Amino acid sequence: MTYVALAYGFIWGAVFTYIALIGRRVARIDAEIEDLRQRVKPSA
Amino acid sequence: MSSRMSSSLKSSTAFVVGLLLTMHGFFVVTFLVANAPLEKTMGIVQKIFYFHVPCAWLLMLSTFVCAGGSLAYLFRGSERGDRLALCSAELGVLFGLCVMVTGPLWARAAWGVFWTWDVRLTSSLLLWLMLIAYGLARRYGGEGGRRLAAAMALFAAADVPLVYLSVNVWRTLHPTTKVVSSLAPGMRLPFFLSLAIFSALWGVLLTLRMRVERAHARLVELTIAVEDAEGRSP
Repeated sequence: MTYVALAYGFIWGAVFTYIALIGRRVARIDAEIEDLRQRVKPSA
Repeated sequence: MSSRMSSSLKSSTAFVVGLLLTMHGFFVVTFLVANAPLEKTMGIVQKIFYFHVPCAWLLMLSTFVCAGGSLAYLFRGSERGDRLALCSAELGVLFGLCVMVTGPLWARAAWGVFWTWDVRLTSSLLLWLMLIAYGLARRYGGEGGRRLAAAMALFAAADVPLVYLSVNVWRTLHPTTKVVSSLAPGMRLPFFLSLAIFSALWGVLLTLRMRVERAHARLVELTIAVEDAEGRSP
């Protein structure tokens, strides 16, 4: 039973970690977009 | 323009719904697997099979998709193909990691050891390592890193038939491919549903990851355009 729980738990953990990493990338891109917007603003 | 990009990232409601549905599917599968009949010789540890095999299938699928995208990039210069290759290689590493962890857990209970240099295990490890090498070549390969990685993806795809057929061609400890067709009737529904749910999760993650990669590529283009404009202005 322990091995089954470990295997199942690991898969869940790996998938959630990957989704969190994608979320971090999205946040970073959003921040860069905001930076770009600030740079473009004065000349717009 | 940038607000359009930002909103495209934020308009991921469909993906959140898709992800939630997939997660719900995982709960249904867990319930079905828990209630599936016990295998006579291995007992409860056989239930790892319901998650291990779908992860192995996704490792192979990701490799093929990565190779397809790499071919499009190498021969047609397709940026979209390159992005598809990168995103599917990442998913291949993710599901390959799940295979590399769940397999040894099953092996420890079934064979008494976590690992043996069996042809199926070794060729699967090699495939997973090739996908990791693909990512490393892209990240640290410098100027020609993307092309080098694309060529590596083709080698990785050539390993997939070896992984799949190895258990039928060589004498190995690992169960053969016939194990799926010989499943007891009560085990078929949880297995195929698990396969479908894992595949759906792969599809959702690939689409989401592709969107992020596309947004990043667009951002790089815009940053270059802004820098050019700033350089031209007095």
